[in-house]
Amino acid sequence: MHKLRHAPGDPEEVLKAALEGVAGPGPVYVLGLGYADKADDGAGVLVAETLKKLFPNHSFSEHDGVEGTVLDISEKDGPGTVFFVDATDIKGAPGTILVVPREDIKETEISTHRVPVALMASVLGREGKGTAVVCVQTRSLEFRGDLSSEVSSAVDLLVRVFGDIMSGRPG
Amino acid sequence: MKELNVPALARVEGDGGITVTLDGKKVKSVTLDIHEGPRLIEQLVKGMKPEDDVNVVPRICAICTLSHKFAAIRGMEKALAITPPEKADLTRELMMLGENIESNSLHTMLLALPDFLGYPSAVAMLNDYTDDVKRALKLKKFGNHVMEVTSGRIVHGENPIIGGFGKYPSKKMLEEIKAKAHEMVPDAARVVELFASLEIPKYADVDTDKVFMSVDAPKKKFHLYGDDILISNGKDFPADEYKKFTNERVVPHSFAKRSKYNDKTFMVGANARLINMGKRLDGQAADMFKEHFDKRWLRNPLYNNLAQAIEIVWAMESLPDACDKVASMDDPPTEQPTRTTGSGTGAVEAPRGTLYHHYELKDGLVDVADIITPTAQNLDDIEMHMKLVAERMLAEGKKDDEVRLGLEMIARAYDPCISCATHLVTLKRF
Repeated sequence: MHKLRHAPGDPEEVLKAALEGVAGPGPVYVLGLGYADKADDGAGVLVAETLKKLFPNHSFSEHDGVEGTVLDISEKDGPGTVFFVDATDIKGAPGTILVVPREDIKETEISTHRVPVALMASVLGREGKGTAVVCVQTRSLEFRGDLSSEVSSAVDLLVRVFGDIMSGRPG
Repeated sequence: MKELNVPALARVEGDGGITVTLDGKKVKSVTLDIHEGPRLIEQLVKGMKPEDDVNVVPRICAICTLSHKFAAIRGMEKALAITPPEKADLTRELMMLGENIESNSLHTMLLALPDFLGYPSAVAMLNDYTDDVKRALKLKKFGNHVMEVTSGRIVHGENPIIGGFGKYPSKKMLEEIKAKAHEMVPDAARVVELFASLEIPKYADVDTDKVFMSVDAPKKKFHLYGDDILISNGKDFPADEYKKFTNERVVPHSFAKRSKYNDKTFMVGANARLINMGKRLDGQAADMFKEHFDKRWLRNPLYNNLAQAIEIVWAMESLPDACDKVASMDDPPTEQPTRTTGSGTGAVEAPRGTLYHHYELKDGLVDVADIITPTAQNLDDIEMHMKLVAERMLAEGKKDDEVRLGLEMIARAYDPCISCATHLVTLKRF
């Protein structure tokens, strides 16, 4: 599976097929990262918090504690896939979505006091869970700024697509 | 002239690097370069109401969020002449224990440990140390849980307020924390066991006459806040006099201010806390401190990791009693200000060292805010140690990569939080 770049206006089905392609058997979990006080930086958190209303046991965000959530999921029986959703600079038009499968998650640990996603992916992998990162290109990271319209559309799109996928999966 | 660079220092909070400038084989300078932009917080809060300030200032950093919250509240309560209820003090102790467990377990096990075991990262360590990596995540999760129960959220909790708490934790939640803490003491002890078994490199042993600073916790206990500052030379000062012993100044290569005491570098952090207050520990943490402390702790900053590990045990052992005390008290009303003009300094021990928040209020609004972070206080000491170690390693003919790793390990041992350190406004280039 290669990375998929989904630009604003590209067909929704293409994104859904890519996410379905990454997800293995079992439940799909969404874990939204980011900082909701900084405009588009909160995209991942918004996706996860919206999905949480429909899938409270399968969608989590920074507010739930990232590492603890990963640990809890890793201890569940059977397979599953965790999608980390995060606002990122992927050198694309604002609102562009990039799906990065596990094998392409870099293992560098630059400048973070959070447990790196690569480590969380490895912990999950040891327990038979798949992972992928879903990046959303930001326009603005202004403190207390509003979500840009492009990223807002991307958030809506991800909520729809993940909602479809998650409702067809085991609980 | 040659430069030896670590352009991006990994496994620390924020963006920084190390530059070693060599003149032949002589080390001309070693600098810890801070790339992160200034945070402007002290200017931002001018004119704010105290209750708004204590919500804004913790945004400096999402790691030491509760330390900033607590320091700001303590500074404001002094400025407003508020004596917090005992239950508020005890609940604040609880939240600080949670933050200490969360931050120290992450730093020791996942950020510092790979260096000592010869792995490039915790990811690479996972196959051989699966249980320990998972233990670190479990400890961090529990620390986060205590933070959430007490402060309302895992990051940037708003439940602690000036004069008390918005809501106190329920007896049921406190019972759960108490039971879990009892259960997790062996996990914490394993962290100490692991770090105590490591060969601490002797290249980082440096004889200096530097001092170690920490708060002097109330009632001669070991804790993470206090109104006085202890210095390892036997002196102590009221925290209000923080400027006398921090002596902040600006340097051209960094967005963070620097500190010296009596024109010498000094160290804050777990190492300093144990050196100054370690004899006050009890339980298993006291036994571990007695067993593992030796004079090398005074010379080698790499021992800060072992000190942090012992603190995890202390925090875990302290939780049950703290929970019992909080649970035994009725919820008090929030204390109200008795004046609107005044000044106050809040000193607390963030995981990486003493944090000061000083406020001067005029007619109920912030007139002056001054925040001195532990990392900013440690920066001169980090550079001093790195320079001496670089000189030693190069004289011994070590390769550039070995020198780089050695210096990175020293910088990481201080558990620097670069985001916190770069809150200042002015940078003068000379």
